[in-house]
Amino acid sequence: MANRASKLGKIYIIVIFLLMYIPIFYLIIYSFSNGTTMANFNGFTLRHYGELFADKRMLAIFLDTILIALLSSLFSTIIGTMGAIAVHNTKRRHQRETLLSLNSILLVSPDVIIGASFLIFFTALKLPLGFWSVLLSHIAFEIPIVLLMVLPRLDEMSPSLINAAMDLGATPAQILSKITLPFIQPGIIAGFFMAITYSLDDFAVTFFVTGNGFTTLSVEIYSRARQGISLEINALAGIMFIFSLILVGIYYLIENHNLSSGRKLDRVEVPDR
Amino acid sequence: MKRSFKGLFYTPYILWLAMFVIAPVALIIYYSFFDIHHQFTFSNYRVFFESGTYLTMTANSVLYAFLITVISILISYPMALVISKLKHRDLWILLVILPTWINLLLKAYAFIGLLSHDGLVNNLFGFFGIPAQQMLFTDTSFILVAAYIQIPFMILPIYNSMTDISDSYIRASSDLGASKWQTLTKIIIPMTMPGIKSGIQIVFIPSLSLFMLSRLIGGNKIITLGTAVEEHFLTTMNWGMGSTIGVVLIISMVVVMLFTNTKRKGRRS
Amino acid sequence: MSNTIVELKDVYKTYDDGFTALKDISIKLNQGEFYTLLGPSGSGKTTILQAIAGFTEVTSGEVLFDGKRINDIPANQRQLNTVFQDYALFPNMNVFENVAFGLVVHNVKKAEIEQRVHDALKMVQLEKYATREISELSGGQQQRIAIARAIINRPKVLLLDEPLSALDAKLRKDMQYELRELQQQLGITFLFVTHDQEEALAMSDEIFVMNKGEILQKGDPVDIYDEPINHFVADFIGESNIIPGKMVADYQVAFLGHQFECSDAGMRPNEPVEVVIRPEDLVITSPEKGKIQVKVDTQLFRGDYYEILAYDEQGNEWLIHSTNATKDDSVVGLAFGPTDMHIMRYNESEAKFNSRLESYED
Repeated sequence: MANRASKLGKIYIIVIFLLMYIPIFYLIIYSFSNGTTMANFNGFTLRHYGELFADKRMLAIFLDTILIALLSSLFSTIIGTMGAIAVHNTKRRHQRETLLSLNSILLVSPDVIIGASFLIFFTALKLPLGFWSVLLSHIAFEIPIVLLMVLPRLDEMSPSLINAAMDLGATPAQILSKITLPFIQPGIIAGFFMAITYSLDDFAVTFFVTGNGFTTLSVEIYSRARQGISLEINALAGIMFIFSLILVGIYYLIENHNLSSGRKLDRVEVPDR
Repeated sequence: MKRSFKGLFYTPYILWLAMFVIAPVALIIYYSFFDIHHQFTFSNYRVFFESGTYLTMTANSVLYAFLITVISILISYPMALVISKLKHRDLWILLVILPTWINLLLKAYAFIGLLSHDGLVNNLFGFFGIPAQQMLFTDTSFILVAAYIQIPFMILPIYNSMTDISDSYIRASSDLGASKWQTLTKIIIPMTMPGIKSGIQIVFIPSLSLFMLSRLIGGNKIITLGTAVEEHFLTTMNWGMGSTIGVVLIISMVVVMLFTNTKRKGRRS
Repeated sequence: MSNTIVELKDVYKTYDDGFTALKDISIKLNQGEFYTLLGPSGSGKTTILQAIAGFTEVTSGEVLFDGKRINDIPANQRQLNTVFQDYALFPNMNVFENVAFGLVVHNVKKAEIEQRVHDALKMVQLEKYATREISELSGGQQQRIAIARAIINRPKVLLLDEPLSALDAKLRKDMQYELRELQQQLGITFLFVTHDQEEALAMSDEIFVMNKGEILQKGDPVDIYDEPINHFVADFIGESNIIPGKMVADYQVAFLGHQFECSDAGMRPNEPVEVVIRPEDLVITSPEKGKIQVKVDTQLFRGDYYEILAYDEQGNEWLIHSTNATKDDSVVGLAFGPTDMHIMRYNESEAKFNSRLESYED
């Protein structure tokens, strides 16, 4: 939009940005405090990080969380992309709208509903709660976001591209691998990353379907936080913050790469939980 | 041959829709008609609508979500407006997105420290001579922390709808003699309504069910619909009642969707 | 007629919502000719192209290629190629890869691919652009690459869907020459779709004029221009003055209260007709010398001529092309000869129109 921002406006956003980031930095700063509470900084130490790395249980949970995130993102990206192609291929308008409405149910449902209904579902199937129920749940709630990231790219693709490939003698499989997939690749990558963040961010759904033996970082943080402050969590926050930064960095590097070799992405994706 | 090739794409997706979208919703509705002894009954609904506790809880829950949403809009709209006018707005909006990549529970946990008796906020109060307050486990802190978490999700859709407005509308408006304020109220706000509406969608519905926040920040004082579902499913194991509350949550979600759904016209036909 | 390459027989196309895109289309395309489907948007010309290419199924009727029915053969197995309106160049491939695509999917050997791509690029004078990205090309260059890509499989028929519509006027004129030359060089059939009548007249051996899913008239450009079958064709192709009149007898037509000698015949006596006179066939003279008198209203300078808008006493609008300007608001006479008029009957079918013309011409 036209017009430059006013002085007052700039001051306003700086204040809000400060408020947005103070809790995060507060958390990280105290991970270096040589004390036991998040009050009165007691001098610099890396002790909490040391404790965190020595914590075998925490390390296992961390690896489990990453494994769940990567596996679920991989599967949801495959199924979500296929779903996007299916939705794109629907001939009738109301068919497409119905599919899209069904698709968005998991995106707009409150987490507790997803968690509770999946819990009922797995119990009805007699599937034991643990790694597999968590993995399936994550795949399930990541699929719709992948679809929403891929579908716009497909819709953007001129139908004459497909016709041209067909016209030149390409088979459906060749069209898919040589034309469609390369064209929608940026959407697929964005969907994959979005799926990873959904997985890493999720607490409520996992909390419902995780059972006793298996835990992810979110659930672990919750149960520790309920017992009060432990600066080991602060150290974990510090590490996860760096991890997020790296993820964001990779994501935007890929985006920018696509940007330079394609059209400009002028909309920001809205991440949701 | 062409047909079966296309069918290949439908199968996994439709399977997912059936198993993880339709079946769970159906199951939750089904379970809402069973009591704790697995007997078919309408008593869950009767209890819900006859006991004051559940209705008050629902009303409270809606009120909390409403306040969280309103506060988020009030803070986010000017944010989005200013950022959309900045030179490097892509970079600034990245700063809005970044906190959303940090785990919700870590942010909630930070506030346990910030708001505690010896935390940063009370230290600041002390600096101005205000006596330390009990801030954790109050309604206000719950609402403010929830709003803190939701603000980025409100800024983004509003920002997107602002960047969609072509410069020429703003120029046309001032060309025709509108003041800045008139341009804002008569052009910009109406044109960003779709963004505000999708912001409400993204913020209001989850705010009904932030059970982890009400547990960590609100203590056990604040019971929302989400907390009740969690309690019935994971603590008292009364899945029937939990499902009933879940159905109420689903219905309120549908109502919100109906109110905020703007038929988005396709950019490309 | 042994060299017919594409034929449509009684083709209908009706969509699910009941819209009929094509009505009883029967056309024959011979080898090595340049055909044009001309009509306003929505007239069904692109649908015909898609039916031949295989992008859309016809509801009834037959599509024949080289004498064989191809209704059920998918597009990727039909031996004809298409140049698309938006070029449809694959954005993830460079120029070489785009042009080579048709060969790659047919598993042609690498060395041969290189040779043939080079030849095709040479044909469109872009042999130095093989390694360029599509986004680095201008509109005109993209256009040529789209053509090179479409001819790489050596099709017997090339379908061109409004390929010049995205180019600016100057480039469009140049490309008209080039396309015509290319067609003659390749010696294959071109089926060209356009809504631009000038383009159609300039390039075609034969034109099919379409409206509302039907072919109204087919013929070579000169015939269609000089002897349009009805009001729509006369109005759509070139500019024209169309005046209601009455056919008094063979070679005698009456309009505006006067009777004139004309060159048309074969109608019923006193049949109501429409008279077409092209603006460039009207000559401005003094009111006394003119066959009819009109009052000049507006004049626009068009560069090589003046376009003059005038009204007769009955309020009919007259468009005149003249090399000289006249005075505004002056009354002038319009002169024209018997052959400058073309008489059209109401609702005459193309078959009857043609046989009537044959009955008195020569």
